[in-house]
Amino acid sequence: MSEDKLFGLIDLNFRFELTKFKLVRALCKSRWLPLLLILFNLFIFVIILLAGLFGGYSAGNYNFGIMMVWILWWVLLILMLVPGFARMWCLMCPFPIFSDWAQRGKLFEVRQGKLGGLNLKWPKRLSSMWVLNLAFLATTFFSGFFTVRPFATFILLGIIILVAFLTGLVFQKRTFCLYLCPVSGFQGLYSQFATAEVRRKDPEICKKHTPKTCFVGNEKGYGCPWLRTPFDFAKNTYCGLCLECFKTCPHDNMALNLRPPGVDLLVDTKREPRGLDEAYKAFIMLGIAIVFYLAFQGPWGVIKDMVRATTLEGYLGYITFHTVFNLLIIPGIFFLFAYLSKLFSGNKEVPLKKIFTNFSYTLVPLGLGVWIGFSLGIILPNGSYLLHILSDPFAWGWNLFGTAHFPWTPVLTHLLGYLQGATLIVFYLFSIAYGFRSSRQTYPDLPQARRGWIPMLGLLTLITTAFLWLFMG
Amino acid sequence: MSRKEIIAVILFILATVITIAGVVGVEAYRRRELYTVELTARAPEHGNWYPQEITVPLGEEVRILIRNIDTVSHGFALPDFEVAVPEIKAGQVAVVQFVANKSGTFPFLCTVWCAGRHMEMRGELIVE
Repeated sequence: MSEDKLFGLIDLNFRFELTKFKLVRALCKSRWLPLLLILFNLFIFVIILLAGLFGGYSAGNYNFGIMMVWILWWVLLILMLVPGFARMWCLMCPFPIFSDWAQRGKLFEVRQGKLGGLNLKWPKRLSSMWVLNLAFLATTFFSGFFTVRPFATFILLGIIILVAFLTGLVFQKRTFCLYLCPVSGFQGLYSQFATAEVRRKDPEICKKHTPKTCFVGNEKGYGCPWLRTPFDFAKNTYCGLCLECFKTCPHDNMALNLRPPGVDLLVDTKREPRGLDEAYKAFIMLGIAIVFYLAFQGPWGVIKDMVRATTLEGYLGYITFHTVFNLLIIPGIFFLFAYLSKLFSGNKEVPLKKIFTNFSYTLVPLGLGVWIGFSLGIILPNGSYLLHILSDPFAWGWNLFGTAHFPWTPVLTHLLGYLQGATLIVFYLFSIAYGFRSSRQTYPDLPQARRGWIPMLGLLTLITTAFLWLFMG
Repeated sequence: MSRKEIIAVILFILATVITIAGVVGVEAYRRRELYTVELTARAPEHGNWYPQEITVPLGEEVRILIRNIDTVSHGFALPDFEVAVPEIKAGQVAVVQFVANKSGTFPFLCTVWCAGRHMEMRGELIVE
């Protein structure tokens, strides 16, 4: 792989270690990080929850909770945090702080010995993204309410916090984050594309170092709360960037690296295999993006009415279509193209399931590009509302920063379609770049890989063309 | 408990308990002390004035906080007391103040064409 260059330019093995800077390493090793970020976000989310109660009922664009969660947080997540720094939100997410405190009995210090709570292990057959897939899909059933009803956002966040707490009391460490949090799955999947990673530096040091303090913990920090093995994991998917491994490693052998985007898409090891659960996450994310675009940014009012439950029949129709579209139609179309790939390749030995799963990862860059395009369609027209709600978070008539009367000012909306289109094309190129490499991994020789790649390239091009039409048509 | 642990706990309490208590306290104070009544404005299709009936004591000074929690502009007029706010934009608040110096039932209404059922956006002020 050392000769392999992305677009013929960037060596896929290139890494730039940010933690070689003393300040960055000191921050990663400090117990105040991420605690201070978590406490700050806890404060913000308390305000968000209170705004859900006191800050009005129907004016979503003037509600602190709705604007902060569905405009600022979501857009930051999709545009910057996930593509740039993987699960950086998980690092600073305030929701698990209650269960962490209950388990550890301490906020800052390190508890020695067994953690509190029942500490049960999550069932092995549920240790995948399947529950996350269904939880996220189910959450989107109510998307028409979250963006206009502050109380709906209050209920959603309240449920997440409560379930996170209860899960932490029953199951070990960050089981909730790993297997239940609705926003965990897509962050994990798209983190494979991120330009940053936490990895061990020298494998030889880890090999010789026993006990594995990064996994079991020591007086400096906890064993990996995300139940990873920091000494050898190779994918961002389930690394919550909690930085405990920096604290517990006595050899300073952990690194925070910048890297070429997407290199995890080629990882398929026995410990971290590609799986149908992640494939379905990719399908669901793409399907939801299509439905959301049609409902919230397209000109079809009838779809918006269905999503916002103007009539019960329409709403039930939306849920049914949304579910079938995401769980059957999109995977079905993909399966058809995977089958064509097998036919084109002429290889009868490679299992169809492997072809289907391997190629599904080509949807990761494309799906992320679609979501970035969709998020541009949220922030550019609506971002100016943020200035209002920051000055008057509870609609009490305050003007804290002098921006309470800042008028609604769409930004660059005349270029929105072009920006969305350009974004999509860039990520399509990444999909192609990694797609062909996946084909090489799937089929045993180059001619077969080339032939087998043709149908998938066609599908990716079709999807991209369809979105270009939606964004710019 | 170390000093750093104590600081962390204090920060946690500030972020949660103190913030909640502060916001709830201010909200209660506003409702109790600053205004006679709080009126929320929404188009009839989305809830109309709330409350639609306001009762105030005769001879007292009345302060009404009007919160437009809708996505469109509304207006407010109470013609019998010559009180009006020409436009309250979406998400904004307005305060009207007058002395309830005559008893009876008086209509108040929205003065901006806000929705298809705009003409139904009416309420009553009862002075007794």
